[in-house]
Amino acid sequence: MTVLADLPADPTVERRRAVQEAAASSLRRRKIGSGIALGVCWAFLAIAIVPLVAVVAYVVVKGLPAWNAAFFTQSTVPEGIPGGGVWNAIVGTIVITGIAIAVTVPLGLVVGLFLAESDGRAAASLRFTADVMTGVPSITVGIFGYIAIVRNYGYSGLAGSFAIGFIMLPVIVRAAETAFRGVPTSLNEAALALGARKATIARRVVVPTALPGVITGVLLAVARGLGETAPLLLTIGGNQYLQWNPTKQMASLPTTIYNSSSQPYADQVQLAWGAALLLVVVVLVLSIGSRLLAARLRKERR
Amino acid sequence: MTIIETPTPAPASLPPGTRGRFGLSDRGFRWTLGAAALVVAALAAWFLVSIVLQARPAFSTLGFSWIFQGTWDPSHGKYGLLPFILGTLEVTAIAVVLAVPIGLGTALALAYLVPARTRAGLSTTVELLAAVPSVVYGLWGLVVLAPVFRDTVEPFLTSVLGWTGLFDGPDQGVGLLLAGVILFVMIMPTMVAISRDVLAVVPNEQLEGAMALGATRWQVLRKVVVPGARTGLLGAFTLATGRALGETVAVALVIGNSPYIAHSIKSPAATIPSLIVNNFGEATGTELAVLFAAGLVLLVIGITVNSVARWLVWSTAGPSAGAAAR
Amino acid sequence: MTTTNETRTMRGRRAAPLAALGLAAAALLTACSSSSTPATTTTAPPGGTLSADNASYLAADLKAPAGTLNASGSTFVQPFFTSAFYAYTGKNPGLQVNYQGVGSGAGITAFEAGSVAFAASDVPMGASDLAKVPASSGPVVQVPDILGGVTVSYNVPGVSARLKLDGPTLAGIFDGTITMWNASQITALNPGVTLPSHAIVPEVRADSSGTTYIFTDYLKSANPTTWTLGTSKTIAWPATAVQTPKNSGVAASIKATPYSIGYVELSYAIQNKFAYAAIKNAAGTYVVPSLNTVAADADQKPNVSATDFSIVNQAGATSYPISGYSWAILLQKQTSDTTGAQVVKVLDWTTHTGGGQDLAAGLDYVALPPAVQNQVRTQLLTVTGTTGQTLLSK
Repeated sequence: MTVLADLPADPTVERRRAVQEAAASSLRRRKIGSGIALGVCWAFLAIAIVPLVAVVAYVVVKGLPAWNAAFFTQSTVPEGIPGGGVWNAIVGTIVITGIAIAVTVPLGLVVGLFLAESDGRAAASLRFTADVMTGVPSITVGIFGYIAIVRNYGYSGLAGSFAIGFIMLPVIVRAAETAFRGVPTSLNEAALALGARKATIARRVVVPTALPGVITGVLLAVARGLGETAPLLLTIGGNQYLQWNPTKQMASLPTTIYNSSSQPYADQVQLAWGAALLLVVVVLVLSIGSRLLAARLRKERR
Repeated sequence: MTIIETPTPAPASLPPGTRGRFGLSDRGFRWTLGAAALVVAALAAWFLVSIVLQARPAFSTLGFSWIFQGTWDPSHGKYGLLPFILGTLEVTAIAVVLAVPIGLGTALALAYLVPARTRAGLSTTVELLAAVPSVVYGLWGLVVLAPVFRDTVEPFLTSVLGWTGLFDGPDQGVGLLLAGVILFVMIMPTMVAISRDVLAVVPNEQLEGAMALGATRWQVLRKVVVPGARTGLLGAFTLATGRALGETVAVALVIGNSPYIAHSIKSPAATIPSLIVNNFGEATGTELAVLFAAGLVLLVIGITVNSVARWLVWSTAGPSAGAAAR
Repeated sequence: MTTTNETRTMRGRRAAPLAALGLAAAALLTACSSSSTPATTTTAPPGGTLSADNASYLAADLKAPAGTLNASGSTFVQPFFTSAFYAYTGKNPGLQVNYQGVGSGAGITAFEAGSVAFAASDVPMGASDLAKVPASSGPVVQVPDILGGVTVSYNVPGVSARLKLDGPTLAGIFDGTITMWNASQITALNPGVTLPSHAIVPEVRADSSGTTYIFTDYLKSANPTTWTLGTSKTIAWPATAVQTPKNSGVAASIKATPYSIGYVELSYAIQNKFAYAAIKNAAGTYVVPSLNTVAADADQKPNVSATDFSIVNQAGATSYPISGYSWAILLQKQTSDTTGAQVVKVLDWTTHTGGGQDLAAGLDYVALPPAVQNQVRTQLLTVTGTTGQTLLSK
């Protein structure tokens, strides 16, 4: 019987072994590289969390003592008067941001859809315009609101909504477009094959599929809108008293924070921090709420 | 199902006029979209025209050379904008250089590495940073971070990186570095949130295909996920950079507001938005027009940055991704 | 010889005019009736005496018609104005005044545009601003509404004593020629204080500010030839100065930066418990800023007007040299009788003892001297309504 070892070396076997060894060492190398790179990603996540914890902790520590019943139910009072709160600012923020959201979210979604559907030059220019709009400093937006509205009609909550809307709009447009483009073409084509009209496709296929991304974009825009100070400083005029009418001067949480934090008196400064904490909590609630909403919508579709 | 690499094309249209259950015909649908787009375009045009009209006196009185001069002294008629242009670019660069890798890494971690149950919680936590008003960032930076920078971070960086010549001068805390870091923290939620969403929707087939070919997890991420999400990442980068370029109140509190060209990363400096917010309330006449013109210059900077970013994505990614980036 | 000023109580100071009046009256009577009783020597108190019909004007002020007024301007007076107007509304519930501290310049712009009933500014409107008011609106009335002092606050580790500084030294610190804490100019003024060998960090305002104006007004007055950076709301500070917006920003920066020195309003220095310097006044005395010493400085120049408003560096041993008024601005010819009546009555109430001025001390502001209060009323009496009638009454 021939001993296997006496057989001449099979070039294919040799080749296979060489390849396997090369692959194994490459895999070892790549796995180490992968491990390092992923470790870096984890490290970056940790780095991202650290300032968050620091800032939010700071806001909580400084702002929580300001929270009491009066804080939420009374309007601002001057230094030396006990009690007082930010109810007028809360109302102002609700009205001003509410109007801005009501106008920019539908408009932004529709324009986002337009950009996602078209590839022409006009769409490209509009996309570029929206990108540039996100880079306009908030103070310049405020100045624009001042020139466009306040100079002719005086300070008002509507002028503030206009300025905040201008800031929110390109964010929603861009985020929406990104989300809509993420919808696989296959879904689109399937719907078309079933004979659906474009509007129906948009409503039944594109928007629901892109909903998580859209909600993220809207949420980011709203969070930014809630926190922007400079545009409001130049457009709403401020009001120490409660005002529901958006055509009049109104208060708002960001401007109250800005003004109260720049006072010399400790309790006024504390009021400012309390209002800052309120803003953070509001956005937290919105964020969690919208995620739950998106999850439920997705479940329903299934 | 086919693996899609081409961008979503505009769907083929049905005979115009056919009405769907939604009530809108295809033509009506297109009209609605077009009208909305026109509204936005008109708004942008109105904005541009307003600012240009207000800025015009600056150019008619002073010409154009003042934009590139280095001395800002309005009481003596000097309106050099260069220190503010450089300050804006430098502080944005610091923020973006930090935010792109860290934001991308964080987004990758959130989309692929963290356990699925913690994903929503951690994502919300990072996005919460977007809720903090900018004046709070400014105050936190001034009161909490500036002493830390002055006493710990800056001496450390100077000892390690001082040979580059970028870390000359005293450790003051406030300055370009602090403002850049604060901006980085402020734009992170935008960068992370949008990147995470975009990275998460890369089609599974592509991931599975790459893994079947023997790629490690990192190789899958680097070679398949990130390139596949390139368009969306560009969008995230654009939004984040836009915020950094335009941030006003927080920067004004921590940058030192020095109207001189910064010679080191630790120097106090100033940006165009901080210049505008500090002087707008009291400026009149030529100075006011100059502030508007500075806003215009900032718009131009934004346009340039955007164009460069697009060109980078287009040229490095090849024609198909480039088409997607458009 | 240098001495530090001692403080007297605010209450004692305000009671002094009335007590003096009583004493003077008694003295006059006794002098007329008997020549053997020595007359009590009283001179008119510095700062003047309040007019006798003040109370009746104040009572009439509280009967202003109901409505809402919008006003805006200086951030410096905002705490005082909001307090005073709140107290006013407490006594006259129909009338609400919404005052917003948007900055002196923005307030003036709003006033020029006609969108506020009155404005407040730390520096009165000058000729160029007045030219922007439409000629049809008529002349502008500008009255002082409150008094304030600017402290030189510092944060020097290891130095707990109160530093003494004078005009030339301050000028040197803030124009960048004096760079170290243990410079000879500073140590010469402060024997017995160990000053560290460390660079000085000057803290200044990044934004346009009336506080900057008052401070540089003093520096120019104390150094007529050597202070070259000018007197203005915006200054081209040297590169070593750290610029932060708003009084609160400068205060936060001083607190957070060792070896820093900056100028902030008295209320911020007191509330933040800063260490602030005793400044050498025109009489050669080193004076600590306080409600009394600022008032003493203002008392030296009771005849202020919109064209002659600087009160820095006045004579008098107890005067704090870095002081200034803030101003309320309104139209002389009001176009609405209701609004006009509301404006003059609210302003009259706010600018007089027995009305808004009583709230000043509690907020670390300095009340107007009585003579100035009288002048304010005289000015407000010139404000007319649609038929040329005087709107202020008693």
